[in-house]
Amino acid sequence: MDLAFTPEELAFREQIHAWVRDNLPKDISEKVRNSIHLTRDDMQRWAKILGQKGWLGWGWPKEFGGPGWNAVLKHLFEEELALAGAPRIVPFGPVMVAPVIMAFGTAEQQKRFLPGIASGEVWWSQGYSEPGSGSDLASLKTRAERRGDKYVVNGQKTWTTLGQFGDWIFCLVRTSNEGKPQTGISFLLIDMKSPGITVRPIITLDGAHEVNEVFFDNVEVPADQLIGEENKGWTYAKYLLAHERTNIADVNRAKRELERVKRIAKAEGVWDDVRFRDQIALLEIDIVALEMMVLRVLSAEKSGKQSLDVAGLLKIRGSEIQQRYSELMMLAAGPATVPLRADLVAAGWQPDQNAGEFVAPLAGTYFNMRKTTIYGGSNEVQRNIVAQTVLGS
Amino acid sequence: MDFDFSDDQEMLRDTVRRWVERGYDFERRRQIVKAGGFSRDAWKEIADLGVCGLQVPEAQGGLGLGAVDAMVVMEELGRGIVVEPYAAVALVATSLLKAGHEAAAAPRLQHIAEGKEIVVLAHEERHSRYRLAHVETTAHGSGHAWRLTGRKIAVPAGAAANAFIVPARVRGAVDDADGVGIFLVSPGQPGVEVQPYPMQDGSSGADLVLNEAAAIELIAPGAAYAALERAVDVGIAALCAEAVGAMDKLVAITVEYMNTRKQFGVAIATFQALRHRAADVKMQLELARSMSYFATLKLGEEPAARRRALAQAKVQLGNSMRFVGQQCIQMHGGIGVTDEYAAGHYFKRLTVIEMTFGDTLFQLGEASRRMQTTAGVFA
Repeated sequence: MDLAFTPEELAFREQIHAWVRDNLPKDISEKVRNSIHLTRDDMQRWAKILGQKGWLGWGWPKEFGGPGWNAVLKHLFEEELALAGAPRIVPFGPVMVAPVIMAFGTAEQQKRFLPGIASGEVWWSQGYSEPGSGSDLASLKTRAERRGDKYVVNGQKTWTTLGQFGDWIFCLVRTSNEGKPQTGISFLLIDMKSPGITVRPIITLDGAHEVNEVFFDNVEVPADQLIGEENKGWTYAKYLLAHERTNIADVNRAKRELERVKRIAKAEGVWDDVRFRDQIALLEIDIVALEMMVLRVLSAEKSGKQSLDVAGLLKIRGSEIQQRYSELMMLAAGPATVPLRADLVAAGWQPDQNAGEFVAPLAGTYFNMRKTTIYGGSNEVQRNIVAQTVLGS
Repeated sequence: MDFDFSDDQEMLRDTVRRWVERGYDFERRRQIVKAGGFSRDAWKEIADLGVCGLQVPEAQGGLGLGAVDAMVVMEELGRGIVVEPYAAVALVATSLLKAGHEAAAAPRLQHIAEGKEIVVLAHEERHSRYRLAHVETTAHGSGHAWRLTGRKIAVPAGAAANAFIVPARVRGAVDDADGVGIFLVSPGQPGVEVQPYPMQDGSSGADLVLNEAAAIELIAPGAAYAALERAVDVGIAALCAEAVGAMDKLVAITVEYMNTRKQFGVAIATFQALRHRAADVKMQLELARSMSYFATLKLGEEPAARRRALAQAKVQLGNSMRFVGQQCIQMHGGIGVTDEYAAGHYFKRLTVIEMTFGDTLFQLGEASRRMQTTAGVFA
């Protein structure tokens, strides 16, 4: 048992650190560090820079053109990006649908879809949730009917994150009403330019347009865009969820944001207030404990000696921590965060380096972060899953 | 970065676990507690496992092993809530003896390794409340002839101790760290009175009352405080590991109960209110385990980083212990608050651990004062 990284791992980290320093556009990292909304162009620019280096699919195996890094190297890569203020890589393409295409897609589908994901050219969205299907995802109703060499899709998806930018969307659709709800679901790849698709914005508490409703009205989808077998989609979706693992805890971003909490607390004069500072110390302890838990998982994955079934715990804890740091930042600046200055937070606005800490987005970020304990399987659903492993049934 | 245990460590774990499971069941523990909270026989059995000299240098007949090995032993002792003062003797006192004058320390270390002597740190005073520099007990003298006067409370092992390691004030104000020296005191000498009592967790303890008691200097002022702080951090890491073992077992006991106990015609494990509580308990247990590893792996850091890390770990463990202890009692219902049932005894031990070597708020203060700009496991 040993905390230290190997010399090879440390050299790898140095290499990533230097590359990010030289290649991450400053205007983008400044926005990220100050919670200013990113434009599609900001996100695409960074995705393509990574794509050119071959690192947008940083978790991919070599046979599909990825770097083939082990769990520890992937973690170090994510950490260096997060600490440098890189935007979160939009996960739907490289992290979510790509592994499913690799595992269950045909060679033809792999050739057709993976290059666009790896380069960052093609923007993917996720079509899972529906108005009537949140935590109970398997109850989804969007129908896909086979007609000749096509599927005809009718229904509605919701909470489609950044769907307004999507070129393609991967969807869970109902192809059968036989048997259990899980057994009649299929996994379809759909071109969002297809006739019959309408994307409508949902404005969230922070006033932002981040999520959408996506309507399907007799949308024709070529049958060769079905992944794997019909009615086996639930299996592929579960595979996809298992693939997120430690990433979901987002501990690296939490470390970066904790530094920001401290900067803001100092600038606002509450750093020396014991009551406030102790709250930061507690958050710091929570983050160290979460990081230790993530490292335990990585070590277990690397050595294969022990299996650690803590994915649900990582999701619960990671999301609670995200909410907590956004809350503490807002409370540190207090009344200065009350004016609703959408003009200052708007995409494209550049913070003035001499103005001190930029507090205008803090309340909005706090409101926005309430989503984290709801999405990706609400924390209550996660507790059900954890309880099952603890209680044995 | 590797959290696997070596084969030797797995063997060490098996050895201690087997003894706890076969040799130290709840019924035997109950008898020991009834008889005052310390059993010479049990201590001899622990010594026979070969672990008393775990961290004693090989030159003094010990194994010269490290922090992770100690963590392994403590987790297993925690599973059986063993009342004998293993950590106090084999880890905390041993740490101080290793930092002390060789002539005074070497024979003691040898006796500890052989399982012949119980040597414990007696540092807590009625008004010190976890502050290691706050020492009212006084020392005067020079060379080998020192006299100590004062009172130490909640001293582990109580009447079973063969020697006490006593911080006492040589000079300076009541909270001056540099004026503290560390001395060895033997019971049965004039001016040394041991007033034994049972502790809340069933172990044996005592007040140590010193009145111009003869003492030998172990560590001179200047070096003494740093050695004391380090020994207490060693103790904190040990208690964190013990707590993880105790919580692990307590959770297992609780899960078994929840799957057996029926109300309204079904096992209480089927109720969602309790299932979510069980998930929260599991969360606290895994966070505690993670921070127990953290505590042990940070013991080798330079003092400031070590102190910060150990304070952070003790805060996590304190919060986890209280939550897991209280909720496991709650999920049991009435049986949980009875003396005949094991769960409550785990809860009591966890409570005492929280109040040993700095409670949660005390260590939160430490962690808060010592915060740096950057944070994280490697900061």
